[in-house]
Amino acid sequence: EYEEKTGRAHRPLSPKQNVRKNLDFEPLSTTALILEDRPANLPAKPAEEAQKHRQQYEEMVVQAKKRELKEAQKRKKQLEERCKLEDSIGNAVVTWNNEILPNWETMCCSRKVRELWWQGIPPSVRGKVWSLAIGNELNITHELYDICLARAKEKWRSRSTVGAEGECEDAGFSAADREASLELIKLDISRTFPNLCIFQQGGPYHDTLHSILGAYTCYRPDVGYVQGMSFIAAVLILNLDTADAFIAFSNLLNKPCQMAFFRVDHGLMLTYFAAFEVFFEENLPKLFAHFKKNNLTPDIYLIDWIFTLYSKSLPLDLACRVWDVFCRDGEEFLFRTALGILKLFEDILTKMDFIHIAQFLTKLPEDLPSEEFFTSIAAIQMQSRNKKWAQV
Amino acid sequence: KIYLKLFSLLFLGVGKSCLLLQFTDKRFQPVHDLTIGVEFGARMITIDGKQIKLQIWDTAGQESFRSITRSYYRGAAGALLVYDITRRDTFNHLTTWLEDARQHSNSNMVIMLIGNKSDLESRREVKKEEGEAFAREHGLIFMETSAKTASNVEEAFINTAKEIYEKIQEGVFDINNEANGIKIGPQHAATNATLAGNQGGQQAGGGCC
Repeated sequence: EYEEKTGRAHRPLSPKQNVRKNLDFEPLSTTALILEDRPANLPAKPAEEAQKHRQQYEEMVVQAKKRELKEAQKRKKQLEERCKLEDSIGNAVVTWNNEILPNWETMCCSRKVRELWWQGIPPSVRGKVWSLAIGNELNITHELYDICLARAKEKWRSRSTVGAEGECEDAGFSAADREASLELIKLDISRTFPNLCIFQQGGPYHDTLHSILGAYTCYRPDVGYVQGMSFIAAVLILNLDTADAFIAFSNLLNKPCQMAFFRVDHGLMLTYFAAFEVFFEENLPKLFAHFKKNNLTPDIYLIDWIFTLYSKSLPLDLACRVWDVFCRDGEEFLFRTALGILKLFEDILTKMDFIHIAQFLTKLPEDLPSEEFFTSIAAIQMQSRNKKWAQV
Repeated sequence: KIYLKLFSLLFLGVGKSCLLLQFTDKRFQPVHDLTIGVEFGARMITIDGKQIKLQIWDTAGQESFRSITRSYYRGAAGALLVYDITRRDTFNHLTTWLEDARQHSNSNMVIMLIGNKSDLESRREVKKEEGEAFAREHGLIFMETSAKTASNVEEAFINTAKEIYEKIQEGVFDINNEANGIKIGPQHAATNATLAGNQGGQQAGGGCC
């Protein structure tokens, strides 16, 4: 294209090129120039030269049109593909809304639904499906959320009036530290999905995130705010209304695996890691041996992945798909996903040493291919010597 | 070639991760990602003509994670105890953290006390003399740094490594025990840092920096 452009610019000048060389004459749009006669102060173009130029120009126009047509076809094809994808999402939305959601209890475990579920839940029904799948064992009502929130707001107020000097004074290793978590929440909100720019001070969801985390510390003072929670709450906020997000949040954290981690029950966490290693060895024996040789223990990467349910380490759309299936299959899927990641990058990881593996796994590549990723997860068998996850 | 494992400890919002980023990547990022669990940094330095590979474990700062952090103390040759000179509360907590670190690490671990954010002189709450006195009293090395302006960051890490190196020279550390966070690699490995130095399953390897 460049050649053509320069050619177009220079061709009309060719006979007199030597004379005009130092004039720095560089026309930007050449169309008019080609078709026009030379300026009056120059000798006129001979007829046959003019004819030749016209011909060349027309040829170029034909070429350009051809190219445009080709591009238009390509665009059309892309559009068709996108429409097809949107159609399938649209169809899925209809199926979810009309067939599955009204008959949740009977249908949620059917094979067809489970398959559709694996494909990823359409964003418009995602929140509803998550809510139903997570359930509300704790029987939290919207009113309870309001009460907890009011209590949290009271605390914030008294905190700011008591004065800053006592802020974290006795945070030590006591229960008072849990109180200090109200302060910590503020700091962490700004560090939750900073790239999205919606949870930060002044962003549309800043107050919502603050409210949910604050209300939770009042609802469960024994757990309090633990880092990682802000990511979970943020993902829920993106898919649900505030009070429903709070209900899903509290119930989600109440699941055994999440409770073990967020209460930082080290013994129980080690049990989970040990179970994970059983399946790791079963599925990826070579990589497992390599990790062992390098003293790379699962806590190094699993802590971040489990605490944030992959929302910090995976691209958000992929993380949501992991959440989809996590809601379907439970905690087992979190560990299956971990093995899926390790399998996907097995070849690279086996060539790395401790520090590089650790750095790689704590900062996964941003352009993770979604289809390969899920194929890789699907290939992971969660059965070890006829034992399932829960039994191990 | 010597491999050293270092630690960064302490509070939230004092800029641990920023210090590390400044040391390994020579850049400052005001809003740093949340550290959940542990993150890693690595850099090669030269002391006394010897190549030393520093492997730095950047641990989560929240109290709740202490039981996890504790399990990482072991196997570290040095630790950086960081407080924020503009926040007295972070200084007041040093004793508890120090006790905890001493209790769960090997007794020879070198600890560097760092007062970070020295660029914010106008908001200073902890005097430099106080930091020095605390360090003297507890046998720590002390420095004030600024992750933002990079002032003393290089020195803080390198001085810690020097102190460990001297202890190795004095024979204080049992360098055959990897649990001390030290690993001596074969001489020739140092000449080619891009070749992953992966001999005998040590915890650090080729130069990524």
